[in-house]
Amino acid sequence: MDHTPLSESWIKRINVLQLVLAGILIMSPTAWMVLSSFKPSFEVTAYPPTLIFSPTVENYSQLMETTPFFSYAINSMIVTLGSAGLGLLFGIPAAFAVSWTRISWPAVLTLAARMAPGTLFLLPWYMMFREVGMIGSYAALILSHAVITLPIVIWVLLPSFDNIPRSIFEAAQVDGCSVTRILWKIAMPLVGSGIAVAAILSFVFSWNYFLFALVLSNGDSKTLIAAAFNFVGEGSTQWGALMAAATLIALPPLVLAAIVQRWLVSGLTLGAVKG
Amino acid sequence: MVDVANTVTPDRQRAELAALSAPAVLFTLAMIAFPVIYTVWLGFHSFSSTGQQSFSGLANYSKLIADNEFWHGLWVTLALYLLSLALQLVLGIWLAMLLFNAKRLPGIVRSLFISPFMMPPVVAGLMWLVILDPSLGAANYILQAVGLPPSDWLASPIWVIPTIALIDTWQWAPYVALIVLGGLQSLPPSVYEAAQIDGASAFTTFRRITLPLLLPTIVTAVILRSVDLLRFFDIIYITTQGGPGNASNTLNIYGFRVGFEFFNIGYASALMLTLTVIVFGVVLAFNRLRGAVAW
Repeated sequence: MDHTPLSESWIKRINVLQLVLAGILIMSPTAWMVLSSFKPSFEVTAYPPTLIFSPTVENYSQLMETTPFFSYAINSMIVTLGSAGLGLLFGIPAAFAVSWTRISWPAVLTLAARMAPGTLFLLPWYMMFREVGMIGSYAALILSHAVITLPIVIWVLLPSFDNIPRSIFEAAQVDGCSVTRILWKIAMPLVGSGIAVAAILSFVFSWNYFLFALVLSNGDSKTLIAAAFNFVGEGSTQWGALMAAATLIALPPLVLAAIVQRWLVSGLTLGAVKG
Repeated sequence: MVDVANTVTPDRQRAELAALSAPAVLFTLAMIAFPVIYTVWLGFHSFSSTGQQSFSGLANYSKLIADNEFWHGLWVTLALYLLSLALQLVLGIWLAMLLFNAKRLPGIVRSLFISPFMMPPVVAGLMWLVILDPSLGAANYILQAVGLPPSDWLASPIWVIPTIALIDTWQWAPYVALIVLGGLQSLPPSVYEAAQIDGASAFTTFRRITLPLLLPTIVTAVILRSVDLLRFFDIIYITTQGGPGNASNTLNIYGFRVGFEFFNIGYASALMLTLTVIVFGVVLAFNRLRGAVAW
């Protein structure tokens, strides 16, 4: 049967070797960031770079002392949870209605919004929010970030709602249930895990989003991501604190991603691939 | 389906379903449709330094055609797009094949492999900024250790685009891998078995069977990456802000700076609308291609 010059065990070994190589390429930059954040500050910029050092949290304490890191984190939390909540509030009923009626244009509309460059909306938003004095408000940030979370919620939940057998709804209708009641009492409990995935992905992508907060936030409402951009200018000589900030900012999305990794495919391709 | 609902009138049901999608639709219209129309209107206007606006017809668009910085931005956008896309497809498909064959890999390791794109792009930018520092970065140390000349990376007008493509590839090739992996897992195993019985080598099986069957999935990945790459912003703004000089000044960065640093609202609107038309044009073209390669 074996027509190839290589035996099975050799193919396996080559596969493992490639996997290790891919792993090193993917993980070493992140590992370097985390490692650098625990180096004594004089050693972070040492050349040649050091691999062995006595770990310290001085970068982290310096970060907390020199920047209002904690209040930025609270800003990020408010904007992220607010926009994820808004996305779920509007997205769950919309996904249900689209799945029920097979009229897909509302879902496509939200997706088209996600595809356009953010700067396209940012100009008019800036003018409009400035007009009503909302620049720097949490409301402006939550509304703008909900533009990112809404299509995620709708497109993650569409296949979940589609998978519920129609006969269940029809039976409830015979019993006199209204559509809204069917959504609330029957459909939503059945797609619980889908809602959890939608919520987590909304959180991650809202947390990570940079552009809107860059323009629409001010000193008091700045999100961590927008604040991190300012650290670059100040931090050119303080790589340790910079890497500590980067590590802390990356932690929530990475932990959440690890939790939902099994369901990532269908969620992240916005329904384009049935995972 | 409505005939089953003998206790709920079809009209009532239609109204209820419309009410369920109304908040999402109204929100999107208010946040997107109205602002886009406003942007179109802004694009036909000029603004004086005192904020006075006046109708200027197509002046912003004729300015755009005569603007060398626009054409340079278009070139940078396309170069970065094509280079990144090619790298991400090749490495993404490679990674997907590896993960597909490593079925016993624990979930947590698998999620580490695909973790880069869940990281905030701003963090990715900061991280690579430190690694690629021309004088103190680890990247140049490694290059010199293996006997290669050091590079200026992001500080070099020649290397800045390949370097940004490399950073984006590090972050998004795993995403392509995730999509392709989903496609691989949905292929019928009988196809491989038939090829094996016919004595096809692994490479032939991949080229003649797996790749053609994966084509719709790959086009999907291309569409999703195209949308992001054509409006590339975060990593560039964090690392170079379009520099050195204007070497990495993509259309999106250029439009943003015209709007928010030079406050030329009318011209920025024209730039952003042009970029949006490009993005949607590419997406629609690939969407037709997806229809053509579907099986």
